[in-house]
Amino acid sequence: MDINVRKRSQVQVVQLRGPLRMGPAVDGLRQTIQEAVGGGDTRIVLNLAEVPMIDSSGIGLLVRFLASTKQLGGNIKLVQPNKFAVQTLRLVGVLNLFEIFDDDDAAVDSFA
Amino acid sequence: MSAEFSGGPENSALSELLDRSIPADAEAIATVVDAISETLARLEVPEQKRFEVALAVQEALANAVVHGCGNDRSKQIRCRLKSDPQGRIVIIVTDPGPGFSPDLQSDPKRGENLYADHGRGVYLIRQLMDEVQFERSGSEIRMWKY
Repeated sequence: MDINVRKRSQVQVVQLRGPLRMGPAVDGLRQTIQEAVGGGDTRIVLNLAEVPMIDSSGIGLLVRFLASTKQLGGNIKLVQPNKFAVQTLRLVGVLNLFEIFDDDDAAVDSFA
Repeated sequence: MSAEFSGGPENSALSELLDRSIPADAEAIATVVDAISETLARLEVPEQKRFEVALAVQEALANAVVHGCGNDRSKQIRCRLKSDPQGRIVIIVTDPGPGFSPDLQSDPKRGENLYADHGRGVYLIRQLMDEVQFERSGSEIRMWKY
């Protein structure tokens, strides 16, 4: 999985490309988020437009960090999850835990 | 009769489409998932169904790696894809572990479990596939898609 991170208006925008599943992909995203949070950045946008699949390991990572960032006054917001990612998140009952946006700008602006 | 125990189509009517063994390593899972997806695409299985099967296989193999083999790369996991003349498919994942009790899995949608970082794999498989059977004390899973 490719992970691209940039900062906009005090928000970490993380662009993912590839399946988010157990192994290097989940490990890489975990490290990325941990580094952001460790540096004091708890407001995170995850762009999932190019993520064709999220498995249960990926979902576990997302909800775990959603909880921890919220506890620190931040959040993890999702951009353009595809229909299969939405289906998976809905199947395990966590879709409604997340705020979902059509583009990065809207997600970043929502933190204001 | 519960879909968990109805037995599926007769084994003698099944054609073997794929038979792969991989080391118990997370990075090896993708090769099997991709091979199954490609095989199903050649069979003109609709995209939605291919996705559901691929994710179920991903989950089953991940469970085999972590729980069946303890992430021990020296152990092998076997994955087979079969179909019957009616187009129904079954994926069989077998690991060398001691097995487990699928009925003891907690509900991942219950309040306190929603934020858990694990525990959704078997639940997802049951949601994605039409029939799921556990054999050999849980060290083998058979997943049917009709």
